[in-house]
This record gives sequence, C-alpha cells and structure tokens, in this order.
Amino acid sequence: MFEEIRDRFSEDLKSVQSLQELNNLKVKYLGKKGIITAQLKSLSTLSPSERQVVGKLINNIKLFIENEIASKELFLKDAELQNLLKAEYIDITLPGKYTSYGSEHPLNIVLNEVIDIFIRMGFNVEEGPEVELDYYNFEALNIPKDHPARDMQDTFYISEDIILRTHTSPVQIRGMLKRKPPVRFIAPGKVYRCDADISHTPMFHQVEGLMIDENITFSNLKGILVAFIHMMFGEEIPVRFRPSFFPFTEPSAEVDMGCILCKGTGCRVCKQSGWLEILGAGMVHPAVLENVGYDTEKYNGFAFGMGIERIAMLKYQIDDIRLFFENDIRFLRQF
Amino acid sequence: MRISIDWLKEYINIDASAEKVAEALTEIGHEVEAIEKYDEDFIFEVNVTPNRPDCLSIFGIARELSAYFRIPTKFPEYAFAAETGELDFNIDIHDPNLCNRYAGRIIKNVSIAPSPEWMSKRLEKCGIRSINNIVDITNYVLLELGHPLHAFDLKTLRGSRIMVGTPETIKGKGVIIKTKTLDGVEREIPGNSLLIWDAEKPIAIAGVMGGLNTEVNKDTKDIFIESAHFNPISIRRTSKMLGLKTESSYRFERGCDIKILKKALDRCAFLMKSIAGGQIFGKIDIYPKIYTPLEIILRYEKVNSVLGLNLSSFDIDEYFRNLSFELIPLKGFLKVRPPAFRSDIKREIDLIEEIARLYGYDKIPARLPDASVCLFDSTNRHLVSQNKVKDTIRLSFLKNGFSEVVNFSFMGAEDLDMLKIPSEDVRRKTVKILNPLRIEDSYMRTTLIPSLIKNVLYNLSHGNKDLRLFEISKVFIDNNSSKDDIDSKDNKLPIEKIHLAAICYKEKAKNLYKDDTHYFYNMKGIIEAILYSLKIKDYSFVRSSEPFLHPGQSADLYISKVKSGFIGILTPIVANNLEIKAYKPQVGILELNLKALIENSMNEIKYQPLSRYPYIERDTAIIVDSSLEAISIKNLINEFQTDLIEDSLLFDVYQGGNISEGKKSIAFNIRYRASDRTLKDEEVDTLHNQLVKYILDVTKGQVRS
Repeated sequence: MFEEIRDRFSEDLKSVQSLQELNNLKVKYLGKKGIITAQLKSLSTLSPSERQVVGKLINNIKLFIENEIASKELFLKDAELQNLLKAEYIDITLPGKYTSYGSEHPLNIVLNEVIDIFIRMGFNVEEGPEVELDYYNFEALNIPKDHPARDMQDTFYISEDIILRTHTSPVQIRGMLKRKPPVRFIAPGKVYRCDADISHTPMFHQVEGLMIDENITFSNLKGILVAFIHMMFGEEIPVRFRPSFFPFTEPSAEVDMGCILCKGTGCRVCKQSGWLEILGAGMVHPAVLENVGYDTEKYNGFAFGMGIERIAMLKYQIDDIRLFFENDIRFLRQF
Repeated sequence: MRISIDWLKEYINIDASAEKVAEALTEIGHEVEAIEKYDEDFIFEVNVTPNRPDCLSIFGIARELSAYFRIPTKFPEYAFAAETGELDFNIDIHDPNLCNRYAGRIIKNVSIAPSPEWMSKRLEKCGIRSINNIVDITNYVLLELGHPLHAFDLKTLRGSRIMVGTPETIKGKGVIIKTKTLDGVEREIPGNSLLIWDAEKPIAIAGVMGGLNTEVNKDTKDIFIESAHFNPISIRRTSKMLGLKTESSYRFERGCDIKILKKALDRCAFLMKSIAGGQIFGKIDIYPKIYTPLEIILRYEKVNSVLGLNLSSFDIDEYFRNLSFELIPLKGFLKVRPPAFRSDIKREIDLIEEIARLYGYDKIPARLPDASVCLFDSTNRHLVSQNKVKDTIRLSFLKNGFSEVVNFSFMGAEDLDMLKIPSEDVRRKTVKILNPLRIEDSYMRTTLIPSLIKNVLYNLSHGNKDLRLFEISKVFIDNNSSKDDIDSKDNKLPIEKIHLAAICYKEKAKNLYKDDTHYFYNMKGIIEAILYSLKIKDYSFVRSSEPFLHPGQSADLYISKVKSGFIGILTPIVANNLEIKAYKPQVGILELNLKALIENSMNEIKYQPLSRYPYIERDTAIIVDSSLEAISIKNLINEFQTDLIEDSLLFDVYQGGNISEGKKSIAFNIRYRASDRTLKDEEVDTLHNQLVKYILDVTKGQVRS
C-alpha cells in the first residue's frame, strides 16, 4: 500500500510544472487533510507493535516526499528565474550610451610629452608673461635695439617697450633672476610673431630649456639634447649639430635629427636632405649671464629651444600648421 | 645669398664635388639650403646668419672654405698701371660718427655699353639683373667682395664736392628734405638719416640707394665711384624708416669691412678700365679714425672647459691661423687680433666658437652632465599647484566628452560688442596690438568665449553638429594704473590670468537614448565635481547678471566670496545674431578664472575617523512655494543645530499633478549617525520632527501627505 502511495506521488510530481502546482501537491500529500497525514492519523488504530513498524514506513515515505518536493522546488525556482531573466533580455547590439571621452589637443599632447621627458631629467618647469618687456625679450638676451638679429623675429608691438614675446627665452632671464645658480628648468608656452602662411601662424608654442652649473660643457649640451631626441623619437634616430647664430648663445647650434619619415633617404618633408631641423641651442652667452649677475668664471651653461607645432607636425604628419588652430572637431577627434 | 661654384673657384682652388663643398659650408655654420644646377655650374642658396656679413660675398665664402680645407685664397686682380692724375675734388664728412671712412675715384671717358656676357651671366646666376657695364661692375664687386659701391654721373655733381651728413647737420633741424631715389620714388628723408650731397643737393641716401638725379645713364662719360663705410645702426634705422631694403643696406647694417673698402674701390676701377675703357684718376680717401683691431685674450683651458674637449695649444693656434687671425702667443694664453672683416669676434667666447665650428660640432662627444640628479628648487611651488588644478580640470572636461581647443590669443573689439559687454566692465580693459595682422585680431583676449563661439560656428559650417569644446588659456587685462612707476617696469605689463572656458551645443538630432538634462546642470555638475576633487568647500552659485546669459538659466560662481566665473545658457538676444539655426536647443557656456581654484584647492588632507555605529535615515517631502530655490532647504538643514546629521540629499523636485498651482514638492533624505553610540529610533524621530518643523516654519510650507 505504501509502495502505491510512493509511486502515485512520483507520478504526480512528474506532471508538476509550477510552484503553484507543487504547492497543491504538497497539500495533497502533506497537508492537514493530506494522504500522508491521514495515514499518520490512522496509526492510532493499530497495536503498539504494528504502530512502530508501520509508523516507520510512513515516516520514511513522508521524508521521501518532503525531499522530493524540496528539490523540485529548487528546480522550479531556478527555472522561474531563468524565465524571468529571459524576459529581461536586451538587445546588446545597440550602441552603448556613453559620455564620449573628449580629445586632447595634439599640441598639448606633444607639449606634455616634452615636459615629462625633461622633468624626468631633473628639470623644473618655469613660466613667464606672454606680453613682455622688450628688455627681457631682446636686450637682456644680447639683442639690442637696431640689431639685425631682430629681423629674425617679426614682432607684435603693444607699445615701444612692450611686445608679445617672440620666443620663450625671456623666461630664461626671469628664471635666472629669481634664483641663484645652479639652475635647471624648462619654460613651455605660447609665443607670437607677426607672420601667417602655410608654415607660420601668428601664435605658436615653444619649449625653452636652461641648465647653468659649474663645469657645464658643450659636450653636455649634446648629451642632454641627444637623450631628449632619443626619448622623444626613438633611440635609433641620428642627431646632427651644426653651427648657427643666436645672439644669446655662443657657440650656437642648430640641431637636426634624421628624418623620421624617410629614415634619412630623402623625402618631401626633409626636402630630400634626410635631416629635420628640430632644435636651436647653444652655450649661454656670457653677456646674458652678466645681465643677470651670475659669475661667468664660475658658472656657465646651455640653453635650447624648440617649436611644438613643428614636432607635432612631424609626429602626426600634418602638413598645414593652420589646422591646429581651426579646431575642426573632425581634426581634434583624431587625437 | 646665392653662391656660384664656378665663380667661387676663381678665388680658391678646390676640387671637391659641389655636394662636398655644400656639406663643408653647412658644417661650419653656413647652411646650404638648396643646390641648383645652372648649365655646367652649381648655385648654392646659403643661409648666412646675421652675425657674418663677411660671408655675404663669393670671396667671403672662399675665405671660409680656405679655413676648412686649409687651401689658400687668391685675391682678385685690382692693380692697374698708372693713374692719369690728381683731381680737384673735395670730400667732407660732417657726421664722423655715422661715416668712418669715405673714399672715391674719378674715371673719365668710359663707354657705357652692355656688360660682357661672362659678367652679366654671373650677376644673373646670383639674382641681379644686368643694367649696363658701369652699374654691373659696382654690383659685381659687391657680390665678389661684399663691399657696396656706388657710381655717380660726374657731370651731375655740382661744385666738385661731396658732403656726408644728415639733413639736420647740413641744413639744420626741421628742414624737410625730399629726394627721388633710383627706383623713381620721391622720399622724404628723416632728419637723422645720413645722406650724400654735392655742393647743392642730396645725391644719395648713404648706404641705401643712390639718387635719380645723379644716375649713370647711356650718356654718361665721367664717373665718380664711392666706396665708404657707414655706421650700421644708422643705415638700419634709415632703411627701416624708409621701408627700403637693398643689397647695399643689407650689408652695411650688418657691418662692412673697413679695410677692404680701398681694394674694392680699386678692383672696381680696374674692371671699369678694362671693360669700359676710361682713365683712372687719383684716389681720395677720407679716413679720420684709423681702425685698430681688437685684442682678445684667449685661455687655452677655457676652450676645453667650455667645449668639453682636450685640444692642445698647437691645435688651437692652427685653427686661428687658418682663419687669418693674428696671434701673439703669451705664457699659457694667447692674444688674438681678429681681422677687420670679422666684426662678430668681440670676446673670448667668440673665439671659442671659432674653434668649435672648425673642429666640427659633430666630433664633440655627447656626454650627460655630471650634475646632481635633482635640484632643490622651491621657486615655483605655486606652479606645481597651478598645474595640478589645470590637469584636474582638463581631465574632467575630457572625461565629460569635451574636446580641447587651442585658439589664438587675439580678439576684435566687435567680439565684446557681440557679447554686450558694458564699457565699464573689466573685460573692456584691453591690450591693443599696434601692428596686428588682421583688424579682427587687434586685441589680446580678455575672455575666451568669443573664440569658442567662433569654433562652434566654424564646426557647424563644416557639418559638425554635436559640439563640446573647452580651452584653458591666458587672458590679458590692461594694467595702466601704474604706468608712471619707473622702478617696477613689470607693473607696466598687463595682468595675465589663466581662464577656463567651455561651450556645448548640439543641433537637434535623432537620438537613441533620451537625455533631457539641461546643459546648465550638465556643466554645473562638471564644475561641482572639479570643486569636490580640489577639496574646495567654500563656494556658491548665485544668479548671474552677465549680459550675454539667459537671466533665468545662468549663475555666477563665487569661491571664498570672490566671483570666479559663470555658467549659463547664451541669451537669445546674443544667440539670435549668430549663424545658429535655432535658439533651442541652447548654447551652454562657462568661463572661470582659475586663480581662486588654485589658491583655495586644499593640498593637505586631514583624515576624519569613521563612526562604527549604525545610521538611521528619514525621508520627508514638503510642499512650498514654487519660487523657493532648493538651496534654501539645503541651507536650513546645514543651519540646524545638531551633531547627528551625517549627510543630506535632495532627491526629488516635483511640480504639477496633485500639487496645486504655484507650489512644488521637494523631497529630501537625512542620514543620522552618532560617533559614540547607536541611535534609537525614538531619538531620531524627535530630532527629525524638530528639523522638519524648523524648515516648515521658515518656508511656510507643509508636509506632503
């Protein structure tokens, strides 16, 4: 008889599809008026010895049913959750909603890269005014009024003695006046020249560098600048120094690096020379050190300067400098 | 400077290829920018630096190559057999400071004709047009030796006299002198410009250009040739003031060789005699103050300590000999007399550069300095915090989808008019550029907004419709308060402030996801996040009165009670004048002065201990007048006297529905927590009821049921 109950239960359980049906089944067997409950009630009609034997059998069946229902319940709950999740499926192929990340301006990317390299070499960062006194921009840098070297830089004038700085070199003077040697800093910033065409804009960016200490040599200038170019463009890039002229350095040098586009074989960008002009540099002219009251017998040093637009144009192969300042979002979004 | 190799070989016997010669010149500082093949010849375009006027000639370049290749130069032929006789001719230098030497010769009975082909060809190769044999010879000698000469038609000179002087010296102050130059232009001569005169009139602008009235033409028979030395600064000023730049002024303003002047004159006479016939008359040479070469002391060890080399005194001496420098060896050092043509050599360091460039920059080893790894330099600590603030802001805007722009620092006056900036506003204290490239770029920016608006318009015209842009850059405010203060020159400079500005604009477009957040709140959120990350707590937003902003949708930001910027929607009054299709959706803009952010950003953070006890939260919604701003509820909560409120949050603002007209519902959440015990529900209920009652009393509101 008990076998029969067990088989019937198993049969019933098979057809259960939902938690509700399971509950109904539970009531049918284990509820107050359930089959098992009725069997348990009927025990009282038996003799104590029979009761013990039969009671055990009923309890076994009851345990069996309870376990089966519990495991069926787990199964159904899981299935129900699965169904629920299925119902909540979204179309993962639709585009994501995001606050798009803005683009850094390429000039600032390059500027920060240059600054980082020099900071790693122990240089501080210094700044100075963009509207500058003629004195700091020219005279203190050994470029007196009426010097032909002034032709090298077309100047915007605010008044007779106030100008828009034509290079970041005046920061050299201000930076040295603020400190006692040894000094080592770079000065990044905007500079202005009265000039506009495919390769000139009236405003552009430079990074100036200065190192003053005892026993600084031209050889050290080469060391630092070669290190910079290698860190910036790669260790395999050849570097060439050739004499040039800046009123505030002596000896002065123009620094070329092997063309990064054609690897020195000659192309349009390097005008078939295999070389790209990248930096101006030199040993700080003693007249400049005298202007800031440094002892030229004890201290000397070097200075260098570079144009950020030029580096960015080479790096990203941009052929028109004006693109940097048009701020077309299609251009900006490429960086 | 164009250099013909074929011509060059007349003065130096080099057999190296054109490429090798070009490399050599570049190596010693005369960059060959281009090599051009011209028949069988090669023409170099040489970039001669402003300090080397001695290289502005074929012979000058030959001299440099002579030092490099260690081959001697040959000076061109200039000796002629006999002078026909002395001439009664006077030369007076009235301004000896402006003219150090004036020499001349007279040549009679020349035949004016076209130049021989070899000469006109050479001039043409170097970029000078052939005119006639006499003029061409002066130009030829100019290119050959670098010394400018001028030929006058002798019969046009009055009174057998040449005077050298400024209008002020010759005619007195205030007399206006006008003269027609060879280019046919009548020019008014500045009072302090040096002129050449005959007994009656000006006949040339010294060192710049000859006068039309004494020009050599096809009828000329007799000639006066001038070979002089003028003060470089004077020539440069005259050339600048007249806007007249010539081959001659270019050389004089850089400095000519006072010693070669006589040889150049004779070379010229020699060529005139052999090419145009004529008799050479005696030379007049007024040379009041004889040139004495500089003597410069050179310490051998200084050469090595500056360059980082180990050259012997023997090597160093050899370099100077190759450069034709005169040497007086002394014990342990050297006295050097540079030749007259090397006006750039003034002190020891200039001599060291000569060694460096002839030794070869590329042969000097590249060695990192033996210096301390890091210098302790506290001079610019403020820059560190400034850059930190800049970085924080850049990153925030980038993360919020704003792209960085870089604009020129210029603006036009109409840009401020566009924004309706009133005349007394600080942004009207502009710095004006005297020589702008374009009238729209006449001023330094006092606000970044006009540039950003232009960026948006530019992009819209190129079909870019979803725009979020920002810029961090300086603005310039005129500082004319202390212009008379001579002691502090820096005070004359404008005030430079670092500004941040941003703009957002999106043309109505189909959008997959709805985001109706008002631009004002978008931008305010970015700014609040920045203030939070900089740990700036003392700030407030108050309604803005900026004339270009929507009065109801804009706010000024105050940091520590100082107005530091604004956020808002561009008012339709301004927007309607722009090429933006519709006023809605709006143009959001903001501009901040970073000064207050930099000064108030907290660098030192002190940790606050965390309470270990649980929190209790209470939510309440109240109904108040719709004009009441959310900030007043927030302020009331902050004012409420208790230590137990840990945090508060406004989480709902609602109007309409069952809320009656003119009212709105504001819901807030208060989180209570004690630092020393577990709070009880009843205690929090009492406190919360007191808080709500306090808020209702002040706002005349009621609890929303």
